[in-house]
Amino acid sequence: MTKSPFRNVRVAGLLLLLLLAFLLDLSIGTIKIPLKEIFTVFFSPSTADPTWLFIIKGIRLPKACTAVLAGCGLSVGGLQMQTLFRNPLADPSILGITAGANLGVAAVMLAGGSMATFYAIKDLGVSGSWLIIGAGCLGSGVIMLLVLALSRRLRDNVMMLIVGIMLGSITLALVSIWQYFSDPEAVKDYLMWTFGSLGGVAGGQLSILAAVVVIGLIVALLSSKMLDALLLGENYARSMGLSARRARIIIICSTSLLAGSITAFCGPIGFVGIAVPHVARNLFNTASHRILIPACCLIGMILLLLCDVIAQLPGSQTVLPINIITSLVGSPLVITLLLRQKSINAW
Amino acid sequence: MKKISPFFSFAFVAVLCLTPFLSCRRRSGSKASEAVAGKDLSPAKSRIKYAHGFTIDYYDRYKEVKILNRAGDKMDTLDYLLLPAGASVPPGHPHAQVINIPVKSLIVMASLHIAQADFAGVADRITGLGTGQYVNSPVVREGLRTGRTRQVGIDANLNNELVIAMHPGVVMTMSNPDAAFGQYRTLMDAGVPVVPNAEWLETTPLGRAEWVKLIGALTDREEWVNRKFDSVAQLYQQLAGTGGGAAVKPSVIIGMPFKGTWYTPAGESYMAQFLRDAGAGYHWSNSKGTGSLPLSFESVAPEALTADFWLNVGYVDSKKDILAKDTRYGSFHAFRTGAVYNNNNRTNDLGSNDYWESGAVNPQLVLADLIRILHPGLLPADSLVYYKQLK
Repeated sequence: MTKSPFRNVRVAGLLLLLLLAFLLDLSIGTIKIPLKEIFTVFFSPSTADPTWLFIIKGIRLPKACTAVLAGCGLSVGGLQMQTLFRNPLADPSILGITAGANLGVAAVMLAGGSMATFYAIKDLGVSGSWLIIGAGCLGSGVIMLLVLALSRRLRDNVMMLIVGIMLGSITLALVSIWQYFSDPEAVKDYLMWTFGSLGGVAGGQLSILAAVVVIGLIVALLSSKMLDALLLGENYARSMGLSARRARIIIICSTSLLAGSITAFCGPIGFVGIAVPHVARNLFNTASHRILIPACCLIGMILLLLCDVIAQLPGSQTVLPINIITSLVGSPLVITLLLRQKSINAW
Repeated sequence: MKKISPFFSFAFVAVLCLTPFLSCRRRSGSKASEAVAGKDLSPAKSRIKYAHGFTIDYYDRYKEVKILNRAGDKMDTLDYLLLPAGASVPPGHPHAQVINIPVKSLIVMASLHIAQADFAGVADRITGLGTGQYVNSPVVREGLRTGRTRQVGIDANLNNELVIAMHPGVVMTMSNPDAAFGQYRTLMDAGVPVVPNAEWLETTPLGRAEWVKLIGALTDREEWVNRKFDSVAQLYQQLAGTGGGAAVKPSVIIGMPFKGTWYTPAGESYMAQFLRDAGAGYHWSNSKGTGSLPLSFESVAPEALTADFWLNVGYVDSKKDILAKDTRYGSFHAFRTGAVYNNNNRTNDLGSNDYWESGAVNPQLVLADLIRILHPGLLPADSLVYYKQLK
């Protein structure tokens, strides 16, 4: 633990960066709002301009909060998968859980494309964005149950990895079939959804997303010892008295909650899950998940907030989809890190 | 090859034989394009006034239709020769597709093509349809039921074999004239003429509606179509004079954001023209572009919060539906005052909205709706056709 002062400095630095990124995300957008007014909105809302109040509290704050939640959840999900499969390329989508969310959403948006079905579903009393979110959660939940059922029969994590990838491609193939037979307008709507967005989550949805992500994160933190043991190999973990199978189930549950809910609410957001764990290991130079999990949270939040700022294309009237920015910004970042590091040594 | 009814071929040959005798007095001094041959090929000629996407020229024994595609300062043209069956193809048009007129069977890809055919009184000639999912026309729905009209699939799902076997007089597609026309190559190679109906690229409501003249020319029903269209245009102009001249211009927002992006009509789009003619104050009226602007929710928010009217809200049917999409929309001024109108009044049991079908050829009805919404009292009271207020 000789490194701990260093570590504290880094944590403090990241916290500061997080605060700055959050403020930056709140203060930058199409409409120019002076920084002073942003504080007015929060500290004396009665005197604030109502339009600015709406923009800050109704649009920018929920978006920033969604970025924070998604940043945490996807990064930690990615870390768990990379450890479970001891594979640097693993990310939260590797088990097919996000593909499951895709399938659920496609089922609503594409089958729903025929308006008759859409109205039929509406008669059930679910409508609007809840319908899409519910379908996404249901889709990822079904795939998760399937993964869990299979994982009870598979002894090896490598086999689990392959099965997960296979499930993902089956699911995406189903989505493709659905797209192939759907109307161009419905396909376009679905395509819009796959671009990912942080701006569509607000109000009650945000609270539910927050609750699910927090539960997923708590499970992840509780499982950090298992993750540490798994890093040393399943046989070692077993000799430590750890049931590899139970560990696997807990980790899969946690990742499913995180990735499934975030994908259902925001659409697929790629890259964060794969990149952030590498950055965290690089920065903290440790394999201990008690440190890596919070570190992933911090870095993931900062990365997604900054990506959201870039997606605003400051000064323009348009926003770019977040999924494009995460890859566009994240990939060069990871390449740079790898060039500096020369080898991946976390496993 | 296409089947040609014996009677028709006979009549045509007869006309051809008589032509030299009957037209002799006009022969000298008359321009080729003006020459009238006996029973004129098309006594009523369509002149295109509002649309920019196509032209029709009348010649002695044929009509020439050009579908134009302007991209910046470049222009691409698709050339079609409309000939009576059996007539020889005039020289000098190496790239033209030949269409035998009058077209007796049509395959169409979009519901508004159905509306155009309905307008021209030839909806019963629609033998094929991309998909039967979005149809309002009773004639075509009956055709689908009896099997007179078949579904042939759209885009990548287009069943080429079926289309070729059906021997349609023409296939009307929705595609952009320059984009992905290659997918229809098989059909054209098989001798099936394919015409892109690019009315959606027009920038004015009357320009969009004027594409009915294309079907008019294809089916030799110019006289009927022109008369109807002229009255539509005249009514529209009158209404535009009334609406556009209104002293107060209530502010309007259009559409609804999806996942943080708000697509709103650009200033040169036909929707923006509708709003100008209806006497609405539209914030993006002077923006560039003929499609829609992908704006961030935030950049529309200042307008949305204060606008007097909220129109074309999409797939919602009540204020409750709007809140189910996103509770933030409840803060909009128009939502609180109840001035939310959607264009889905004529949605049928299949969930298909007639605004996109017959609305496209009845811009005068759409405009009257808009004026009645925005300026109550300016027109004689009447119920709305395509629009309804959301409760």
